[in-house]
Amino acid sequence: MKSNASTSSLSALDPAVLSSDAVSPQPLAIDVQGLGKSFKLFAKPADRLREALTGKNRHTAYQALSDVSFSVAAGEVLGVLGKNGAGKSTLLKLLTGVIMPDSGSMAINGRVTGLLELGTGFNLELSGADNITANALMLGMTHAEIEQRRNAMIEFSELGDYIHEPLRTYSSGMVMRLGFAIAIHADPACLLVDEALSVGDGYFQQKCMQRIREFKQQGGAILFVSHDLNAVKILCDRAIVLDGGKVVTQGSPEDAVNIYNHIMARQSEEEENRHLARHANVAGTHQVVVAHAQAKGELSQAEVITSGEMLYLTITLTAQEAVDDMALGLLIRDRFGQDIFGINTYERHGPIQMDKGETRTFDVAIHAVIAPGKYTVTLAMHPGKDHLDACYWWQDGALQFEVAGFIGPTFSGICELPYTLTPHSIQCEPGVSTSASKETP
Amino acid sequence: MTLGNLPKKIKAQLPLILLLTRQELVDRHKGSILGRLWTMLAPLINILVFVLIFSTIMGARLEGFGVEVDQYTYSIYLISGILAWTAFAKSISTITNLFIERAWLITKVRLSLPLLPFSVLLAEGVIYAIGMLFFAVFLILVAFPITAWWLFLPLIFALQLMFTYALGLVLAVLAVYLKDVREGVAVLLPVWFWLTPIVYVSDIIPASVLPWMQLNPLFQIINAYRELVLYQRMPDLGGLAGVMLLSCILLAIARWLILRTEKDLRDAL
Repeated sequence: MKSNASTSSLSALDPAVLSSDAVSPQPLAIDVQGLGKSFKLFAKPADRLREALTGKNRHTAYQALSDVSFSVAAGEVLGVLGKNGAGKSTLLKLLTGVIMPDSGSMAINGRVTGLLELGTGFNLELSGADNITANALMLGMTHAEIEQRRNAMIEFSELGDYIHEPLRTYSSGMVMRLGFAIAIHADPACLLVDEALSVGDGYFQQKCMQRIREFKQQGGAILFVSHDLNAVKILCDRAIVLDGGKVVTQGSPEDAVNIYNHIMARQSEEEENRHLARHANVAGTHQVVVAHAQAKGELSQAEVITSGEMLYLTITLTAQEAVDDMALGLLIRDRFGQDIFGINTYERHGPIQMDKGETRTFDVAIHAVIAPGKYTVTLAMHPGKDHLDACYWWQDGALQFEVAGFIGPTFSGICELPYTLTPHSIQCEPGVSTSASKETP
Repeated sequence: MTLGNLPKKIKAQLPLILLLTRQELVDRHKGSILGRLWTMLAPLINILVFVLIFSTIMGARLEGFGVEVDQYTYSIYLISGILAWTAFAKSISTITNLFIERAWLITKVRLSLPLLPFSVLLAEGVIYAIGMLFFAVFLILVAFPITAWWLFLPLIFALQLMFTYALGLVLAVLAVYLKDVREGVAVLLPVWFWLTPIVYVSDIIPASVLPWMQLNPLFQIINAYRELVLYQRMPDLGGLAGVMLLSCILLAIARWLILRTEKDLRDAL
């Protein structure tokens, strides 16, 4: 499968080439060609009936998917990325067979089970054991298959003797564990995994992940739909990115994650511009104001950057009164509000003078070797070296950016500190070397 | 998911349909003290009430049976009709709402829409069979003869199911699009009840109206049960053939509706 992933990444920017390059030695579990689906929006329900019967157009259409093609081979994990509304759920529903496509073809080799159906048909009055039967039948298993796997399911759920108690006595975590145990033991040809997996405690999540890997090793195909970019990188052999119902890219998980970040960045930029326009949470005397502020990465040219990338902040100030002793301060905070890094121009660059009505732009370049996550930037202008006496402008969350993934080697913790590592060989005993690889007798 | 190669689909989805039937009959009562007894209790109490009210209290009489069992005559007449009507009316009202009420399931699990009503028919069929069993016990107790004509009862019931299924499926599809259908069915079923000779005898219908009343499929079906159980003779085969024909036409309409609207129907749910 590794070789498959690497050939895909070569032609990652050309989906047309990729959909036909699935020359994998394994048979295809899912082969989707030119799939299209639109939903119709009607002014009133009766119009829907009229159109369904007569075929006369009475709706406004919403194209959820158009010309989607991909395939998943047995033993392969295909990641599906896309922001909300990109068409992921529609795709899963089409594959499950609960809605029908407008165009295109879906060849599905064997049973497809989704984690969407987690706990479907659970009856709180029935015991866990009875609910296994009900839910498994709904997932399309036969009675023989259920009996054969019943013990494995109960064991996986770790419910023990509780399995004979009515479901209403369970905690929500226990109900969820039972649901997973059933779905994951349904052993379909293809498993559809979606966000549902991201609930539950860490221990059980890991257990599910382990089971999913086993499933893959046994030749099962998996369609993995997630916002968890790290999970996509770790688990998937290939990935596709959906945007506006179309496959934007298809290739290695790394390429797909990058493209996905671009898409998300575009959206958050738009949102942030609207946010800035409202001048929320600004304190101060407004003698100097922030006219415009922008954060973007050197490579991404967007608010989503990679750890290790240069982060450029562009801050444009307008003086409404003349000032001659001003400092500009900026402070990066993580999503918990913890201060990560802050500077003040006064100390390092001396006081700033601005005439009344003058506008000046400051470019700040920061080598952003900080951990993945979401950050905000607080901007402040004040006379003197701190804001305690007087403050022209204090704005929390004036800018925001997100760090996703790493350039080069990773680190743990909040940020990378400059460091050096110097190895020293110490000769302990003759004939024993610390670097075994160099030993060639 | 169309009506083509139905037998293969029935085989594949039978366990699921049976599960839904079981849920309808048994699981619904789980957690209650009487449990599955409730399934039997409803028809039993129905029968007891009719026997009590119309034999002892009202002392109703009805002439012209093959066998005279005095004060129980009207009760027997009533029960023979009302058990079948209850099965029909409950099935129709449940199936009409079926796609809407099971939307949570239809939108999550691969399910054949035309097969779904079978779970309702099976459940109501079981309740009807239990009712008939109690009815038979009652007849034996009052020494009313149970004859070989009873062997035809399953055939009539099968015809009733066929009609129920076809009509129910048409209504179920329409109800997804039009809320009015649910309300309409709820209002019209009682009217239909009184248009069918269940509590009254068809002899009291004026001759000028009778041919129109006979167009009612339930008129034919209920009368057929009565012919077999009460009068021990062959029912009006012509009328039943008419019901058969009507059912086939409704089935064709239901099939056309499903083929035409299923994609859209699933989006609407």
